[in-house]
Amino acid sequence: MQMNSMRSSAGATTEAPPAVSVRNLRMGYGKRVLIDNASFDVRRGEIVVILGGSGSGKSSLMKNIIGLYEPMAGDILISGRSIVKARSKEKAELQRGLGVMYQSGALFGSLTVLENVRFPLDQFTDLALADKNLTARMLLHQVAMGYAESLMPAELSGGMLKRAGIARAMALGCDILLLDEPSAGLDPITGANLDQTILSLRKNLGFTFVVVTHELHSIFTIADRAIMLDPVSRSIIAEGNPADLRARSTDPRVQQFFNRVPDGASQTLGS
Amino acid sequence: MTASAVGPIATNGVRIELKGRITAYTAAPIWRAALETLARNPDRPIIIDASRLEYADDVGIALLFDLIRCDRPATAKVEIRDLAPNLGVLVHAHNPADFAAPARGRSYPGIFEEVGRATMQQVAYAAQVADFVGECWVELRRAFAGRVRVNWGDVLDIATEAGANGVPVVLLIGFLMGVIIAFESGLVAKQFGAVIFVVNGVGFALLRELGPLMTAIVFAGRTGAAFAAQIGTQKVNEEVNAITTFGLSPIHFLVLPRLIAAILVVPLLTVLADVFGLFGAALVMLRFQIGFVQFYHQLLEAVTASDFILGIVKAAVFGLTIAAVGCERGLTTGAGATSVGLSTTSAVVTSIVLIIVIDGIFSIFTV
Repeated sequence: MQMNSMRSSAGATTEAPPAVSVRNLRMGYGKRVLIDNASFDVRRGEIVVILGGSGSGKSSLMKNIIGLYEPMAGDILISGRSIVKARSKEKAELQRGLGVMYQSGALFGSLTVLENVRFPLDQFTDLALADKNLTARMLLHQVAMGYAESLMPAELSGGMLKRAGIARAMALGCDILLLDEPSAGLDPITGANLDQTILSLRKNLGFTFVVVTHELHSIFTIADRAIMLDPVSRSIIAEGNPADLRARSTDPRVQQFFNRVPDGASQTLGS
Repeated sequence: MTASAVGPIATNGVRIELKGRITAYTAAPIWRAALETLARNPDRPIIIDASRLEYADDVGIALLFDLIRCDRPATAKVEIRDLAPNLGVLVHAHNPADFAAPARGRSYPGIFEEVGRATMQQVAYAAQVADFVGECWVELRRAFAGRVRVNWGDVLDIATEAGANGVPVVLLIGFLMGVIIAFESGLVAKQFGAVIFVVNGVGFALLRELGPLMTAIVFAGRTGAAFAAQIGTQKVNEEVNAITTFGLSPIHFLVLPRLIAAILVVPLLTVLADVFGLFGAALVMLRFQIGFVQFYHQLLEAVTASDFILGIVKAAVFGLTIAAVGCERGLTTGAGATSVGLSTTSAVVTSIVLIIVIDGIFSIFTV
């Protein structure tokens, strides 16, 4: 219900450029191409999930979108502006508009959890300390990390690092959030809460999400659209609503993924 | 884009109007003005008119939440009117009680607690070091007695990295040491017409002291630090735990090859430093009218094989010490990137202090 209403409202504002637009992208490391000729758009207010087996280049694709790696060919536009061609100052400005959570949380080891979440506010705003603290604590509460605000990152578990990383990614109010495996390693309750937080931010503030994840439950809960990468064909092999893909896709790789079929059994799927 | 207008409403109420978009970048003045208004009117009701508020990000939401959570008398409540429902949901999702306590910062212990804790740590640490030294000793003895299998491939890799790749810097430092000592002492000796005895001094100093000492200091900075960082990172990545849970000994796997490599490599590097130091000194002595042949004969008269051997034995002990300290600091690394840095620094500093102390002990017992 919620998703449908968002999609129709996103459809009404076709004038605005897509939040993220990937065009004919070829990327990889050295001479090794991970993805070739990939194109897709992420519209404003949309939740797009990037899927694929390990080593299919999901996290690398995200790092290309953020502008940390340079693609071998093609272009990536953030709100209509190329992050590939941008010079350092413009690139930094574009990057500041993206909230990013890295796979391991990437918290700064020398700062407490609260100071980590406050860090972007310290750097870019003139807010009073009490106001920054309140904002940061509210963000931590949103990811159920309120009790850990005074801890150092070295004292946190993997799931806690991720949640604090998400809170930090949201601190500057960026309306495009990129999350690299946010729910991997979270307990089911926290994972479900996180999904609800994502849906609430999209519904209430119109945030755009690009989420790399393997969690099937999370995919079906949050995703408007799934983009599936394949390490063998080095391309996007499927794109669409995950429920539709599961119901209609005839590609055995897509079926195998959504139905969690182990490798040997995939032959019998068609029958 | 965003503005706040403050004006009186009705007879005793105060009205704050929020307009446009409140974001992380624009919220600071609005927040400050709103809190000032609240503070100036402690006993009057406050109406926040949000009918023209278009958007608020997390900072804007926090601002709104901050205004309504203020503890004020019942007759002077803060009320938000006409807030868009999507923003209202986010503002009211939080419970003011959760944020009543001030933000907790880092906890700093008192001086007595700090002293007590540090003392306990040092005691525990001394026991840990004793344990480590004991285990290393046992492993080394078993390795040299041929009772455990040493991974010579690892030893060779480490020796290449620590030794062969360190040759250029050791040569440079050795050469310059020879040049500097010869030149400085040559200038003084010339005044007494005793230039030829500079060769005695340089030979004695280089072979017994400076060759092994300078090599060891370079080795501590280059390789001791690398050992601590490598093993420290392996500790942080739980690789050390993985070795332990296989029922294997981290000392055998990680430390032993490094100890053996260091014992072999530092004496070899010292020989190179000695040779290049003497060569540097011989070059300088040309300027004082002492030729290579004269230098050579004087040197043979001045130093004995035992001086050279003493230097080499020292070098082996230094190598063992540096490798052991580096590995020990690596294995006691805490969690996180910061602790790897601390281990590395500590490995270098401790190694250098220990080298000088050991050098002193050698000097006392080998006069």
